[in-house]
Amino acid sequence: MAIRPDYPLTTERLRLRPFTRGDVDAVHSYRSRPDVARYLFDAPLSREDCALAVQQRTTQLHLDQEGDRIILAVESQADGVLLGEISLIWRSSEARQGEVGWIFHPAYQGKGFASEAARRLIHLAFENGEFHRLYARCDAGNVASWRLMERLGMRREAHFREHAVFKGEWDEEFYYAILLREWQARQAG
Amino acid sequence: MSSFSLPIATDRLQLRPFERGDVEAVAAYHTLPAAQRYALRQSRYSSDVADVVGAMRNQVSLQRPGDTLSLAMVRKGDNQLIGQVCLIWSDATSGQGEVRFMLHPAYSGQGYLTEALRTIFNLAFDEFRIHRLTVRCDGRSHHSIKLMQTLGMRLEAHYREHALFQGEWDEELHFAILDREWRPSTKVVDFRRRSATPDLPRAAI
Ligand SMILES: CC(C)(COP(=O)(O)OP(=O)(O)OC[C@H]1O[C@@H](n2cnc3c(N)ncnc32)[C@H](O)[C@@H]1OP(=O)(O)O)[C@@H](O)C(=O)NCCC(=O)NCCS
Repeated sequence: MAIRPDYPLTTERLRLRPFTRGDVDAVHSYRSRPDVARYLFDAPLSREDCALAVQQRTTQLHLDQEGDRIILAVESQADGVLLGEISLIWRSSEARQGEVGWIFHPAYQGKGFASEAARRLIHLAFENGEFHRLYARCDAGNVASWRLMERLGMRREAHFREHAVFKGEWDEEFYYAILLREWQARQAG
Repeated sequence: MSSFSLPIATDRLQLRPFERGDVEAVAAYHTLPAAQRYALRQSRYSSDVADVVGAMRNQVSLQRPGDTLSLAMVRKGDNQLIGQVCLIWSDATSGQGEVRFMLHPAYSGQGYLTEALRTIFNLAFDEFRIHRLTVRCDGRSHHSIKLMQTLGMRLEAHYREHALFQGEWDEELHFAILDREWRPSTKVVDFRRRSATPDLPRAAI
């Protein structure tokens, strides 16, 4: 399998497009914030970190082999403002497993943008039957993220308690997943 | 890491290190398809079992994360080797351990595993200061599920079709138990609140 989309991907209000070098400041405006980084693996990013991340992302656009990732900028069609980012990682080729993730600027949360972008990305993963199962993970305290997973029709598969130490504290983590046929049933229904 | 001594006696069993002469008894259960699922090393053929036993003979203590302790379950009366229990120390900072076990099906339903696992749990929490123990099992293995519930483990994960196993979609359950759940008096290691901690080196995104 391979996924090599024609960009941009569009939705009603959004464009999902490759990152470009001009996005560094916009990315820095949310990735530098402690409230955004709270539940991410990364600490808040410096401007150099963001420049490096954006640089990497300009090539993370296709899934050709296991381990590849697509990371896209999400912008508003109305005014071209960069709202956040969304990712799809190819985790297993044998079992056709993928992982999705999202990070949005707090100013653009609570407006359904993350849901709209995630739905488009899941559609990309499932539309040609490329993936069999998609999952997402988050800290149990990251209510906005797991509510988004539920809105997308994902099921809670795991609730790990104190399985690791994260940022100096016992970690509690949720896994959510959706199977191809569950997604198809939602499309039909 | 501690000064426990082997073998460990339970009511009806001796839990002892593996020996060279155990190959035949191990082959009797280790080569069964169901046993392959969580085997640390595959052994489809009985000729592989000598290697498995060879490796387990050296797994007699937990010195550093990644180490495994493998013990044979030997019945006291007739010295029959009926299965094995393994304790894997997977992470030091967060005190994580995993338990794996195999029992010859001819000896199931008699409480031997419950007895052996209780002992291993005590060892893990008391001697090795494990914070959380996990057990993985096949979603269709009703014996294992009942056993985990008997031991007071919580179901933490139920993965559906997350992998292929022997050509079929797999279903996997994860059970876990914390030290204070096993021993309600255990003190919780006190990690500071998240906001008070400095940033960690970052992982890749
Ligand atoms: C996780 C995250 C992406 C969720 O963003 P979000 O904006 O809450 O998600 P959505 O786009 O689905 O927005 C849903 C909210 O918008 C509201 N909304 C407003 N207009 C809407 C519309 N037109 N359509 C849908 N929902 C709309 C919904 O009611 C919902 O609000 P509620 O949760 O109060 O009910 C965001 O919190 C974030 O970026 N967090 C920081 C980074 C992070 O932790 N990422 C995840 C790591 S696992």
